[in-house]
Amino acid sequence: MARQAKNMVKYIIKRIIIMFPMLLLALIVTWILSHMMLVDPILNKIGFDNPELLELERIRTGYYDPWFVKLGIYLKNFFTGDWGESYAIYPGKSVLAFIGEVFPKTIELMIIPTLVAPFIAVKLGATAAKNKDKKKDSIIRFVAIIGAGFPVFWFATVVQISFGLYIPLFTNGQLQLPVLLTNSPGSSLPGPIDGFSTGFRIIDSIIYNDQAFLWDTILHLILPTISMVFISLSGLTRLTRATMLEVLDQDYIRTARAKGVEEDAVINKHALRNTLLPSSDKIIGGILGALLGSLFVEMSFNYQGFGYYFTQAIFQGDYYVINGFAVFSIIITLLGTLIADVAYTIIDPRITYK
Amino acid sequence: MTNQDIKIEEIDYKDFSASGKEKWVRLLKFYFLPAWRNPEFTAYENEIEKIKSKRRSFRRLLTPLTIVGFFMILFIVILAVYGPWLTDIPLQEVTMPYVPPDGVAFQEPSPEHPLGTTLYGYDVYARIIWGARTSIGMAFIPVTISMMGGIIVGTISAYAGGAVDYTIMRFVDLMFVFPMFILTLILIPLIGRELMTILIIFGILGIPGNIRFMRTMVLLVKEMVFVRAAKTGGALKFKVMFTHIVPNAISPLILAFFSGAAGTVIGLAGLAFLGLGDPTAATWGVDIDWGRLRLLTGIWASITPGIFIGITAAGFMLLGDGFRDALDPRFHK
Repeated sequence: MARQAKNMVKYIIKRIIIMFPMLLLALIVTWILSHMMLVDPILNKIGFDNPELLELERIRTGYYDPWFVKLGIYLKNFFTGDWGESYAIYPGKSVLAFIGEVFPKTIELMIIPTLVAPFIAVKLGATAAKNKDKKKDSIIRFVAIIGAGFPVFWFATVVQISFGLYIPLFTNGQLQLPVLLTNSPGSSLPGPIDGFSTGFRIIDSIIYNDQAFLWDTILHLILPTISMVFISLSGLTRLTRATMLEVLDQDYIRTARAKGVEEDAVINKHALRNTLLPSSDKIIGGILGALLGSLFVEMSFNYQGFGYYFTQAIFQGDYYVINGFAVFSIIITLLGTLIADVAYTIIDPRITYK
Repeated sequence: MTNQDIKIEEIDYKDFSASGKEKWVRLLKFYFLPAWRNPEFTAYENEIEKIKSKRRSFRRLLTPLTIVGFFMILFIVILAVYGPWLTDIPLQEVTMPYVPPDGVAFQEPSPEHPLGTTLYGYDVYARIIWGARTSIGMAFIPVTISMMGGIIVGTISAYAGGAVDYTIMRFVDLMFVFPMFILTLILIPLIGRELMTILIIFGILGIPGNIRFMRTMVLLVKEMVFVRAAKTGGALKFKVMFTHIVPNAISPLILAFFSGAAGTVIGLAGLAFLGLGDPTAATWGVDIDWGRLRLLTGIWASITPGIFIGITAAGFMLLGDGFRDALDPRFHK
């Protein structure tokens, strides 16, 4: 047991060591990509009317330097924490501070789907596999296919319409949920501007004891959460169903049934544990993928989170923001795969690393 | 049960064949009597049917959900193929550079416009039909590109082993680190917004996943006995790879093929929704984005194209699931 733990620690350390060159390579590739983008932040700042000042600024900030100097300065800036400033979305705001403000909102959006959806999905997948080719199976499979096939933004639009239009129509205007469509403009931050703020709106509102803000935030989060839960349910249900069908063919299930174990215990104890192994890999990987893939939901609901600002930056050509956000996503993906691999080792005791 | 496979040579065809005058009578009957079948051939066919029970392998494909998927795709293909018969608004009138002179944006469904109009007065019904052509016609191109690349590179990597394998896998891991969709978002404004460019980019970005997938399968198949037999028999490496290993390793990729087609349809629609699609092609995603401008009044303009995207993608996925279930070697019912 101790030897296995020591092996696992060695494996984790080896993975972390490999992460750094990969991060470096990824940084170089993002740098190449953003340099292909032909935007000039200095031109934006100064404008066209002062050519001498433009030239001076350019020489000062290194526009005419050879490429390895630029690359070196870029890498040095990256590791010392200076990720540049945004000039098109929020002129003058540093990118790191921007990420710190914007990313917690996406985490808030993603927390409920990623915590709740796996439970429901595993239960549904197990039921579908148990009654294979019967009516329940067909219904669950059909609903899962609908969730997987219909695009997320369409579903978000339908949810918006049905909750925004039809429920007030249905209740004759009695049930007005006024915060359904966009972020309400009156949602200013609780507490002072320079005060301590974690960026999470819910935690902030608890810290500063602001009930109205908390309620406002939760109401705004309901609809996107419903869309996200439905979509992530479908993928996980299909995967669980397929894995469970494989598991139910195995010999140990037959042994358990022959021993006289009740059917419920066969499914819930023996089969389910083995089903969760491949699914857990995808679930944990999917958590971090969902953080980055919330683009569509945020665009549909105008929810100003990570993906929303990322697409805005790509449209407006905000060079530093695109770079910073892309590097941030890469870091998260790397950490996510590492955590998923380690967790997979913990969950499945048969996997050992030499 | 008794042994029921009857060899063809054991049948005494002399009972059924004719000679002499009978032969000419049968020939005349064959030409002049409609739907007359020669008893000799009928007996032959019966024996073959008894041996080769082809109904069983086809029957496995026809589960209820697969039939539903098949009809979904058939519906969309009919819309795409019989487009000009179903609507008399040509393609040029529903895409960007043309603005209908008397169009009223976001009308209700009326006898003229069976599903209402969308922004600038384009007819939603016509856009759906022309969009069907774009989606179905273009859905398979990126999947083909990524599958070809994945199969070839994956097989070479897994078969060669050693240093080649290691470098290719590190390269694939590097590609995996980037979130693929964000890479498309960054690349498309750089390179160009035409439809073919977008599809080729999708295809190229899908190659690393297929490489990894194919490589796992080839690693499994490589250890089987028939590969060793082929190598001892002196087959060239190329021949061993592509005629022995690939056909056996390819079965999970059929599901991936259809899922990839579904993913392409949704991905194209997603790009169009964000505004990065091809402005001169009638894709469905753009409609959903336009429809959001009048969310509370013109709902049909935004919901209906989405329903069709969903039908296409869900149909592909159901077909893929059906093929995978039918070809699964562990299916022992």
